[in-house]
Amino acid sequence: MSETKKTDDETKKEISNLSRRKFLKDAGLVIGGTTVGSMAFASGAEAQQQEKGDNAPSETTPTSAQSECRAPIELTVNGGRYRYHVEPNWTLRQLLRDEVGLTSPKDWCGGMGACGSCTVIMNGRPVLSCLTLAIECNGAIIETAEGIAKTKHPIIDSYIKWNAFQCGYCTPGFVTTAKALLDRNPNPTEEDVRDALGGNLCRCGTYQQHPKAVVDAAEALRQK
Amino acid sequence: MKTIKRFEHINAKTIDEAASILKAGNASILAGGTDILGAMRFEILPDYPEILVNLKSIPDMEYIREEGGMLKIGALTRLEDIAKSNVVQAKYTALAEAAHRTASPHIREMGTISGNICQFTRCWYFRLPDNRFDCVRKGGKKCYAMTGENRYHSIFGAVKGCVAVNPSDTAPALVALNAKIKTNKRTIDAEQFWDMVKPGSTILEADEIVTEIQVPTPAKGLKSSFIKFAIRKSIDFPIVNCAAMIGKGEARICLNAVHNKPYRCINAEDVIRGKSINESSADAAGAAAIEKAKTLPGDRNKWKIQLARTMVKRAILGCA
Ligand SMILES: Cc1cc2nc3c(=O)[nH]c(=O)nc-3n(C[C@H](O)[C@H](O)[C@H](O)COP(=O)(O)OP(=O)(O)OC[C@H]3O[C@@H](n4cnc5c(N)ncnc54)[C@H](O)[C@@H]3O)c2cc1C
Ligand code: FES
Ligand code: FES
Repeated sequence: MSETKKTDDETKKEISNLSRRKFLKDAGLVIGGTTVGSMAFASGAEAQQQEKGDNAPSETTPTSAQSECRAPIELTVNGGRYRYHVEPNWTLRQLLRDEVGLTSPKDWCGGMGACGSCTVIMNGRPVLSCLTLAIECNGAIIETAEGIAKTKHPIIDSYIKWNAFQCGYCTPGFVTTAKALLDRNPNPTEEDVRDALGGNLCRCGTYQQHPKAVVDAAEALRQK
Repeated sequence: MKTIKRFEHINAKTIDEAASILKAGNASILAGGTDILGAMRFEILPDYPEILVNLKSIPDMEYIREEGGMLKIGALTRLEDIAKSNVVQAKYTALAEAAHRTASPHIREMGTISGNICQFTRCWYFRLPDNRFDCVRKGGKKCYAMTGENRYHSIFGAVKGCVAVNPSDTAPALVALNAKIKTNKRTIDAEQFWDMVKPGSTILEADEIVTEIQVPTPAKGLKSSFIKFAIRKSIDFPIVNCAAMIGKGEARICLNAVHNKPYRCINAEDVIRGKSINESSADAAGAAAIEKAKTLPGDRNKWKIQLARTMVKRAILGCA
């Protein structure tokens, strides 16, 4: 990687320093300025408020301050409701990892849509969070691997039972994609599973186990 | 992961509003984002868009319906919905199959038909991060693929000095099915829709927006098919693909990924039109399709000529 390239973290720090400076300068201007529904958006740390639902992750650490070009969004992540002010260039992956604190959306291909390891379920569709803009997630319902695990979805036990991973790096991407398939098709064939998981890469080569694990999870779900 | 550089994001409420923003300055359309956001993250465009105009906020742009003797597909309809549509599968088989073979399930869930036909070329010189090759497509003087690594490049020569290929899977299906592409300004025959226009691949004007795809319902007895050769079965661009619609004395055959724009195989159509489809007639048409093919300096793309011949043959057999 060339020196000019910044990681998500570096740039985020930069943005958040910048907006914090801007915030201090403009303090007072934006406080309570915008409202969504009944709740007023405050600036600074309070800007990133959340209402925790039953399944909301507890490790969330709302941080960054608001800058005037940020847009307010409200979304549901794993059953919990969140409100953020987001920059136009933030991806959903950035939001989930850096703001919500969920690390299951991974990155393998560098954000070009070619590996599936950043997959989350958005409004029922498996999508690549690296190519989804956070600003377009207003009102969205998002599920990540953390949420799927918390609801004790049979796919998790099935993946363990069938040893469908080695290092586990690709697993959240597979699990979210597989769950989205099961939500739509409660009785998939192994071929259906292969088709649906066609956009997920596994460097450890665990491919042959996935269809078995997903078909088995479907069976468990039907018996539930 | 490299962060996407700053831009302004506008949710357009109407096509007119989107067009006026596009007209005003350095702005780009955002549909599913699977192509444009990657292009922006890796900074491959000569001019980084200052504004992205989101079309998904415009109502009623996602639909598939038959009406007035044609299939109408809203510009923002996702590829996966086209692939899964019963009516598309039954009567517009080439398009359903092409949509199904595009990219990966995730990209089909996000990517739209208009984005698919308007995507930038995948030439690796063009796509190298940070805009490192100032190639003809970016306004430079040279096509680096012409004499460089060109094993995936054009077998039908250059257009305006560029030998990159159009990578769309749905494009040849639309040409074979004799589709029309409706914009906010006009209705364009699919065949006329693509050209080498820096840095894009369509003849659309800066403030022109695709609003609908229109495919005439094929007469009874007409069959269509699509076939694709790629290195991997999934998440992979075509090395060569081909769509055909044949029957009732009609024949339309289109290759893609072999030329700067989808390549209609008029010679092959003449060979197969009105004939019964079998191994030997399909083979003869395949041979006719590559009559004008030629390799690029270095002969590295010679294999694609054989592939194109076989793809045409198999697409024709698919219409039997
Ligand atoms: C890993 C990977 C693999 C892929 N493999 C394949 C493949 O095998 N076959 C294939 O065909 N494609 C492939 N693609 C390309 C993919 O199909 C396209 O990225 C997708 O279809 C683009 O649709 P979108 O809605 O996301 O477009 P966007 O990224 O939103 O837009 C793409 C371009 O089209 C323009 N545009 C979009 N909508 C309109 C409109 N209504 N009017 C005018 N201009 C418009 C935009 O300005 C932009 O320049 C692949 C992409 C990736 C990332
Ligand atoms: S990080 Fe590879 S597809 Fe998103
Ligand atoms: S288990 Fe290691 S990458 Fe898939």
